[in-house]
Amino acid sequence: MEAVYELLKAVSKEHFMENMVSIPLIQPVIDNLLNIPLVGYVVALILWKPMFALLIFPGLLTLMTVLLFIIWFERKLTARIQWRRGPLEILRWAGGIIQALADGLRYFFQEVIVHRDAHKPYFIQLPILIFIPVLLPLLFIPAGSIVGIKTPYALPVVVAIVSLIPVFIVAIGWASNSRFAYVGTIREAFMYFAYEIPFILSVVAMILVYGTADMTAIVEKQTIPGIILNPVAALVFFISTIMATSRLPFEIPEADQEIAFGPFVEYSGIMFGLVMTIAYEKMYILALLMSVLFLGGGNGFPIPLLGDLAPVIWMFLKTMAVMVALAFLRSIYARFRLDQALRLSWTTMLKISAVAVLIGAALNIAQVA
Amino acid sequence: MIKIKVRKPDMVENIKLHLDALLTGVKEAVKPGTITIEYPRERRWLPDSFRGYILFTPENCISCFQCSFVCPANAILMKKSENNRYYPSIDYAKCIFCHFCVDSCPGSALRQTKIHDVVYIDLDEMFCPTENMINPPEIVREDEYTVEYLMDLDIILKRVKERDDLIPEVKPVEIIKEYSSCYEPDSCLACGICVSSCPNEAISITSLDGEKRLKIDADRCTGCGICVKECPVQILKLVKG
Repeated sequence: MEAVYELLKAVSKEHFMENMVSIPLIQPVIDNLLNIPLVGYVVALILWKPMFALLIFPGLLTLMTVLLFIIWFERKLTARIQWRRGPLEILRWAGGIIQALADGLRYFFQEVIVHRDAHKPYFIQLPILIFIPVLLPLLFIPAGSIVGIKTPYALPVVVAIVSLIPVFIVAIGWASNSRFAYVGTIREAFMYFAYEIPFILSVVAMILVYGTADMTAIVEKQTIPGIILNPVAALVFFISTIMATSRLPFEIPEADQEIAFGPFVEYSGIMFGLVMTIAYEKMYILALLMSVLFLGGGNGFPIPLLGDLAPVIWMFLKTMAVMVALAFLRSIYARFRLDQALRLSWTTMLKISAVAVLIGAALNIAQVA
Repeated sequence: MIKIKVRKPDMVENIKLHLDALLTGVKEAVKPGTITIEYPRERRWLPDSFRGYILFTPENCISCFQCSFVCPANAILMKKSENNRYYPSIDYAKCIFCHFCVDSCPGSALRQTKIHDVVYIDLDEMFCPTENMINPPEIVREDEYTVEYLMDLDIILKRVKERDDLIPEVKPVEIIKEYSSCYEPDSCLACGICVSSCPNEAISITSLDGEKRLKIDADRCTGCGICVKECPVQILKLVKG
């Protein structure tokens, strides 16, 4: 009886209203909506901070918008730098901005072919299962006071979950059972080991700098942004982000010109649409992580009218800046060979990340942050 | 095996090169050059002598078969029309747009246009009979700008807000009046091949004192030269009138 009462209390409107996103600009509207019986409950649920994190920022809505935008933006920017036009004809007056949506629709109506040699259950399951490690980190990333799950171990959890993604990609390549997928999978596995160590070391360096792994605390402690405190760690983090999301110049596992999307070569239709967005979603998560660790997350000028939404906007802008920088690299760099990339990460990157950890330890002793 | 030694830039030079690449990227992103023409909203400016779709004026045609003879792709078929004359028809599935036919036409009955974007439903439709060659095909003009490439040291695109006329005016050529004549009547076999080959019925054979003679009507002769080619004893030639 006691448990049922607790459960009812946990899903009650009053419980949601205790921890709600406050936006002074539209507060009267929200108040009016809250008084309507059923609509009020839904509004309270959506504006409940964990649910807001899940649905609006950094969750579903922002993720979708960012995906649609960054795919279009990357193509457009690359085209611009290479003296072309890029996507244009779909919604011409807006410069073809809904191109990614149109591509998605096309994928949706295309046949999904499962070829004879594929391991059928894994081949179909894994592109859907991979969304668990891809989307789960979003719950732990805070924007101001809006956070899905608040825990002091948020940073290690996010890094651990993100590290799971390549395992799924290797499994996808195994299930595809073809030559290109095999080559791509081997490359993915090699790159995974190569970037993971400098990546984790740079995160460790930042944990040392702030003395905590709680992301909300990390953001609060950044009166000076982390990129100024430890620029070496920021550089290592940025380069390993490029490697992790297989952007150029480290687009080695996918390499569409030589092995035609590597592990994803056998996919077609909406399945290809799903696996193609994985790299972009990973890029979004790592950009969020970078803006939390190095750019001060939701810190910025407070905007009184927007209330809790102001950190969301600052964080969104910082994340977009990182993503645009990542997309920009595509148009100016050629691809490294696998051995060159491995040499770079196992020698130079490892050395620099060790230096970053040393700087972090020194800052930890000096109690700067 | 010769191993080529690649000079490795030192660290400072390396960073400088990276920054240079980044700066070039930023510069092009802010103010990009372009070499793209947004066809069909823009069209490239084409010279008047552009080898495109071929138009035909039957009034100027003397049925000389010259276009059909010269065609390297064997795309031109001469077809008999209602007025007993032979007119060309072009198979665009074979045509290589060399415009030898246009150049060889003595009366400029064939002329060039700048139309290069004609769509056909199937291969059979690509055979263009004479009556379709008289008028230009229906074109939907969406273009508002004409773009010209100026190949200086750098490629510059010059955009002018005007429509290029796709069917250029052709200067009327001075037609040299020629007609066929027999220069060795004694050798004539009176076989009648020239009579049957003449598209204008200008040649006739008359019997005079039991001797058959060739009679060429200079007014009716268009100077096409078919009889000259057909004559088995080669006694006909074209003379200027």
